[in-house]
Amino acid sequence: MRHLSFMGGGVVLLGSACKDEPKSPSKPATTEVPPTQALTSSHKTFTNEEFAIVAAAAERILPKDEDVGALDCNVPDYIDRALQTPQLSQMKEQFVPGVMALNRRAQRLVKTDFVKATPAQQDEVLTTFKNSGERTGENKFYEILVVLTLEGYLGDPSYGGNKDRAGWGVIGFKYVDHMPADPKAGYDGIKQLHDMKCGGGKGC
Amino acid sequence: MGAPSKDAVDVVIVGSGAGGAPMALELGRAGFKVVVLEKGAWYKREEFVHDEILSSRRNFFMPMPWDEPHLWRTGPDQPYARTNEAWTANCVGGGTVHMSGYFYRLKPIDFRLKTEVGEIPGANIADWPISYKELEPFYDKAEEELGVSGNAIPHKFLEPRKKNYPMPPLAEHPVAFEIDKVCKALGWQSIPTARGIASIGYKGRSGCTYCALCGSYGCENNAKSSTLASLIPAAVETGNVEIRPRSMAREITVDENGNAKSVIYIDENGLEHEQRAKVVVVSATAVESARLLLNSTSSRFPKGLGNDNGLVGKNLVFSSFGQSRATFRISKQKEQHPWLGTEAPFVNRSLQEFYLMPDNRFGFRKGGTLGFMWQHPNPIFAAVNMAKKGESGVFGKALKDKLRDYKDSRILEFEIYGEFLSNPDTRVEVDSKVKDKFGLPVAAVTIKRHPLDLKMTKFLVERGEEVLSAMKPEKMERIGTAGETTILQGGTCRFGNDPATSVLDKNCKVHGLKNLYVVDGSFMPTSGAVPFTLTIVANSFRVANALVTKMKAGS
Repeated sequence: MRHLSFMGGGVVLLGSACKDEPKSPSKPATTEVPPTQALTSSHKTFTNEEFAIVAAAAERILPKDEDVGALDCNVPDYIDRALQTPQLSQMKEQFVPGVMALNRRAQRLVKTDFVKATPAQQDEVLTTFKNSGERTGENKFYEILVVLTLEGYLGDPSYGGNKDRAGWGVIGFKYVDHMPADPKAGYDGIKQLHDMKCGGGKGC
Repeated sequence: MGAPSKDAVDVVIVGSGAGGAPMALELGRAGFKVVVLEKGAWYKREEFVHDEILSSRRNFFMPMPWDEPHLWRTGPDQPYARTNEAWTANCVGGGTVHMSGYFYRLKPIDFRLKTEVGEIPGANIADWPISYKELEPFYDKAEEELGVSGNAIPHKFLEPRKKNYPMPPLAEHPVAFEIDKVCKALGWQSIPTARGIASIGYKGRSGCTYCALCGSYGCENNAKSSTLASLIPAAVETGNVEIRPRSMAREITVDENGNAKSVIYIDENGLEHEQRAKVVVVSATAVESARLLLNSTSSRFPKGLGNDNGLVGKNLVFSSFGQSRATFRISKQKEQHPWLGTEAPFVNRSLQEFYLMPDNRFGFRKGGTLGFMWQHPNPIFAAVNMAKKGESGVFGKALKDKLRDYKDSRILEFEIYGEFLSNPDTRVEVDSKVKDKFGLPVAAVTIKRHPLDLKMTKFLVERGEEVLSAMKPEKMERIGTAGETTILQGGTCRFGNDPATSVLDKNCKVHGLKNLYVVDGSFMPTSGAVPFTLTIVANSFRVANALVTKMKAGS
């Protein structure tokens, strides 16, 4: 077991999602997105069809019940935007092809598109991805889906998720509300990271 | 070398963290011209924002594994994976910027472990060429210069010390006194944990505001005693020290006599420069310093600088890690545990009862330290741990129930800082086939744990669990007994008196070269059983003291 908890708070970046050789994803990789479809998408990373699947899947990871769900917190928008950042370019490569693979699995397993399946059927499909064994594309896709859903639910709202800090309400996180280092109005985490890392230089 | 030259200086230092900063400060104070090359950015305190994604989950501090990987394998027969293991923060101040600041001194026995416990089959331990007594004045200095808060109380492994800490302890959560009670009933003595955090105003810095987002964050009000907040500004103030951020050292060159001549580095625009100096100091972490020396090949040093005996990168040590967590439920247990109603971030209790065992009854002699703390409040970190993955992973209602339970919980945990026995299968090499974004061969780490480490860590975890279970939590979870904390690293340029078995001499100068020093954790022949940070700072002050004397006397 490798562990970094000494400094607390998990500097494990993206979990083991970043521990593999950068290579094109294995199983879920199939067809490229047809360019026309991408052009008509109102989203940055996904086609409209993919976006709907990601949204449905994220809502199964954190469904609405007596507390807010992934959709209430704008998690799909968070994921769409986060995957545009250079830091997650490898994750994007692994994740995007998995979206349609999830749909194909639904068509095979429960005989309908993922977005049209019942919540129970969607859970069944997601569970096959979750349990597909280490180092498979499905496993990797599931792991990234969970990590990004949780980031979108519990991250700083400036990234586009955690709408009205509702995710923080569910988990009881209250350490960002009165300190000088709390993000100010107009703060944008993605821009902040970009400016910090690049500092005007070309080496970034 | 074709790279444009910068004006020569007295000393060039690679790295600005726990090792580099004390050198810069002392040399600057003594009037020598110093340039510090730091690969990361020079963050201002306003740039430390309470944003978990920024600080803990992207490359604000650590590089991404596809830009600058550390290859990692668990044994020489295993394949390498690209990871971000064993990086510490890449920024001015290094790992001290995002540390939690658990500041312990080593004990006198750590300096003579081999003499104390004898040869251990399969391990390669060595006594240090200095004693605790020789380092003690520099521990005093390190605590004073950085600013350490705490309260040293007598106990059976208290290291000899002339005075208490420069600042009183931080405010403690009342659970600390519960730990004291429970330990006492078990026949053990819990002790306050000293912290590299200002508890009161100190040298122009503000005291801690108890924001609770400490480890893995930079400190926005300079209360954390990073070198960024303490030693670096003091060094710059001498007028003799220039910090050059975003400067990645690629190679140390040598002159016709085989002494260090310059450092070639790459600036933020990707351009190479050569910085010449009379003395070169390397302090880039034990993994990265070994990499820099191994990448600095020449006709005189075909195997890497200072590596004639093949020992650069060998004897790598981390800190043995184990952990368990106890969950207390506020709604159900508040009457039983009134302290659950209090919010305060610091527990600051340690147990060093098992630092050295009197005999071999439990199969090991050298043990370690248990540090008690609240689980870090980062919510994404917590939730990812709850969700897990694979067969044990949960989502949907099960995951949301866990989030709700977490809201109603206080989670007390301990972690182990245990001896990590060096061995032939734990080392750093460079892999010429895998290059980072600068085009430089990356560090390749092989790690294999000595069975005694695992036995010892398990023993300590079981003792920690006795403490936690005596406090009657709702549940307890063992996180592991066989880990290692890879941000704490040492050993790759062991110091010693014999050039055949060490890389550095007693004053951390590379054997056989007149002017090359290594001052991060690389010098440590054994890991000790506390976090390394304070020891690295103290040792760097010691080396600086000797170097200043030598430079003033000599040239």
